[in-house]
Amino acid sequence: MDANNVAEMDKLIQRMRQCAEELKEKDSGIQAVERNVDRILANIKMLELNISDVKELV
Amino acid sequence: MLKDCGLYWNPILETLPQEKLRALQLKKFRRILEWAYNNSPFYRRLYQDAGIEPGDIKRFQDIQRVPKIEKGMMREVQQRAPFPYGDMLSVPLEQVTAFRQTSGTTGTPVYQAETWTDWEWWSESWCYILYAQGYRDTDRVFIPFGYNIFVAFWAGHYAAEKLGCEVVPGGVLDTQARILKMQELRCNAFMATPTYVLGMADAARNKLGIDPAKDLNIQKITCAGEPGASIPTTKKRMESAWGAKVYDHIGATEIGAWSYECTEQPGGLHVNEALFLVEIEDIETGEIITDPGKEGKMIITALDRIAKPCIRFDSKDVIRWADYECDCSRTFRLIDGGVVGRADDIKKVKGVLLAPTAIEEVVRSLSELGDEYEVVVSKRGDVDNILLKIEILPGKEGEQESILFRLKDQLRVKTNLGYKIEVHPFGSLPRYEVKGKRFKDLRKTGG
Repeated sequence: MDANNVAEMDKLIQRMRQCAEELKEKDSGIQAVERNVDRILANIKMLELNISDVKELV
Repeated sequence: MLKDCGLYWNPILETLPQEKLRALQLKKFRRILEWAYNNSPFYRRLYQDAGIEPGDIKRFQDIQRVPKIEKGMMREVQQRAPFPYGDMLSVPLEQVTAFRQTSGTTGTPVYQAETWTDWEWWSESWCYILYAQGYRDTDRVFIPFGYNIFVAFWAGHYAAEKLGCEVVPGGVLDTQARILKMQELRCNAFMATPTYVLGMADAARNKLGIDPAKDLNIQKITCAGEPGASIPTTKKRMESAWGAKVYDHIGATEIGAWSYECTEQPGGLHVNEALFLVEIEDIETGEIITDPGKEGKMIITALDRIAKPCIRFDSKDVIRWADYECDCSRTFRLIDGGVVGRADDIKKVKGVLLAPTAIEEVVRSLSELGDEYEVVVSKRGDVDNILLKIEILPGKEGEQESILFRLKDQLRVKTNLGYKIEVHPFGSLPRYEVKGKRFKDLRKTGG
């Protein structure tokens, strides 16, 4: 694995974040969507701590 | 080329060169400082009073200009709104999904708010610990702990699940039922305080006729809550009693799980420098210590904790950087021997500084002594007296004179102090289920 792979993983993580945030905007107040997206976003944050935060240092 | 993915939870961060770790820490420190400044009235006041703004932190050395916080400040802010956390809170109350509190050992408990993201972060930090200690998805992990308002082992439970282990929650079962359940399910790992690791082994042998080292299947034990797993003689006792590897980790409710021993057991613990910034401060001069071997108190920042940020917290824990490296190839620095004392716990007795862990190390080095002991410091007139209560193992009573001679001799060498020794019948000193309270200083109460 090299810097390109880390950058590629970061791109995918950011797409996941964008997708989750779009879903939250369109949830029409449905709690079953909103709360599950919140949990997904918490996991995306952990991916960012593990990959995105370090991408420019690898 | 990346190091072996099978050895590390995150090989990118755990093998990042030190200079890059410093760059990562600076970036994350600036981010959490800005977050706290913008979202916590407490932190904004603190920094404005000190004339600090987030943009002022440009170089790593600038971090030392940021004011420290102490536990007393955490207690004080709890008098302010919003109830019950106070204005250190940096998120709206409706985003808080869990309440935890400190044990209150040193005073009024500190209340800790967790958002779900913070809770994922807790689990994540524990994943680093457990993976480094060899936990994998083939493990069946028993947690013999009554889960409650304290954070202890909640995060260990969630992290073990996250890395695929099968978790057996021991909850409200009593000690004997827990041992039998571990045996029935052939659990191969568990997590507990050192006091309880030894207490369970004692109960297994003496109440159930079970030898944990032979009749159970435990291969690894993760300790928390007390320094025992980093005290070589106590670690040896635990490993011998269970026929298992015993690993230490260090964490705190208001900080997070910041340090861990790996399977190489190098004699120290790795600091998770991707998630935490640890500074060691000279207790007398306040200078930051970067050289190995010199003790100081820990100033720690949780770099990613959101609901109740922990920025430059003066933990009072006394630590020192190790002057050796670990064969595991992690670049996270090691602290030698774990937390070696507390700045507010190291007692001055007869004019000599005494760390309670030094007494434990000597007592547990003598194989003829039981696991339990108690130290009582009192004052008669102007003179301090130290009473050490011990138990001699059954069958060894005839060797009492020789045992006491060696005990006194080693205590004098290790602590430079003289002790009155009291031998108690085996099994008569208090047994503890979570943390032991073996050091009693009666001087302030007129004892």
